[in-house]
Amino acid sequence: MSTDSSPEVRADELLAIRCQLGERDAFDALISRWHEPIWRYLRRLANSDDAAADLAQDTWLKVFRGIASLREPASLRPWLFGIARRVAMDRLRRLYVRAEDGDARLEDLQAPEPDADLESDLATLEAGLHSLPLHERETLALFYLRELTIEQIASLLAVPPGTVKSRLFRARRLLRAELKPMEMP
Amino acid sequence: MNNAQDSELRIRMLAKSELSLTSRLGYVALLLVASAMTVIVVTLLTTEPGLPGRARVAFVIMSVIGVSWMGLATWALTTRRPLAARDRVIAGWMAVGFTSVYMIGTVVVALVARNPSGLAAMAGGLLLLALAVGALRKAKRRFAELAARRVELEREMRSGPIS
Repeated sequence: MSTDSSPEVRADELLAIRCQLGERDAFDALISRWHEPIWRYLRRLANSDDAAADLAQDTWLKVFRGIASLREPASLRPWLFGIARRVAMDRLRRLYVRAEDGDARLEDLQAPEPDADLESDLATLEAGLHSLPLHERETLALFYLRELTIEQIASLLAVPPGTVKSRLFRARRLLRAELKPMEMP
Repeated sequence: MNNAQDSELRIRMLAKSELSLTSRLGYVALLLVASAMTVIVVTLLTTEPGLPGRARVAFVIMSVIGVSWMGLATWALTTRRPLAARDRVIAGWMAVGFTSVYMIGTVVVALVARNPSGLAAMAGGLLLLALAVGALRKAKRRFAELAARRVELEREMRSGPIS
């Protein structure tokens, strides 16, 4: 195992190993550290608090059942978001199967209108993010907010690194265009 | 309380039920009892030549039930309630203790009965004990590896970032 990883990666690895050892308080620490980021990630994908809560529950169920067999504890972060993503995609697939419009595409799933009373810059950014198509929104969130590398995102989304880069480029361009009108007085 | 915190509360409750050690060790106990029962019944079935037809059918049914319980326990322990490294060591000791008692029982039966059934039961007991010892050794090795890595990481984190 590598020893040149960042302090965050080592902290994650330690947490994963303590969970694999079977320390109950390590699971509490895991939830404290990762629940909110996972919930926010799912919230961005699902566009609903209730759906995010249900998806988070399914995600954590898989985490509790799967962490004992996690081969690379240092990869805890991409592993967690990989599970969250699969759970969210399964839900989207079920929704599309139910949808009457057979031409519906993943990219067509748009967020609801952002709340009018957003006050902080962070909330403005959130609103801008919500306006992006799903793939771009997800890639941007994983890269900037979850701090995964391009290679980790590529592995998690099962796409080439070049696709991740082009999605990031497109996402930044769309987000810039989206935020410009908001900056105007 | 916001929605993320509310959801976190639900996850903590979920963790409490999902990570219960009692239910895990319950499945380990079920696996051990079902294995012992199945070995005894199969041994009798295969080594007793004079069994009446109805008894033979009953033994076959009992064997199928035993194998089903073993399958259920194995499925639960691999998918629903997987064991952490520490749980595996506990489960390994449980298995060694249980199979040792079973082994002693089969040795007594073999000495008293002095027939093929007794010897076959003893061989079955020996096999279960060997499997249990193997599982315990593997569990202890895995636990030691993880514990060593944990110590190494804690030392690295105390000494600060590596340049």
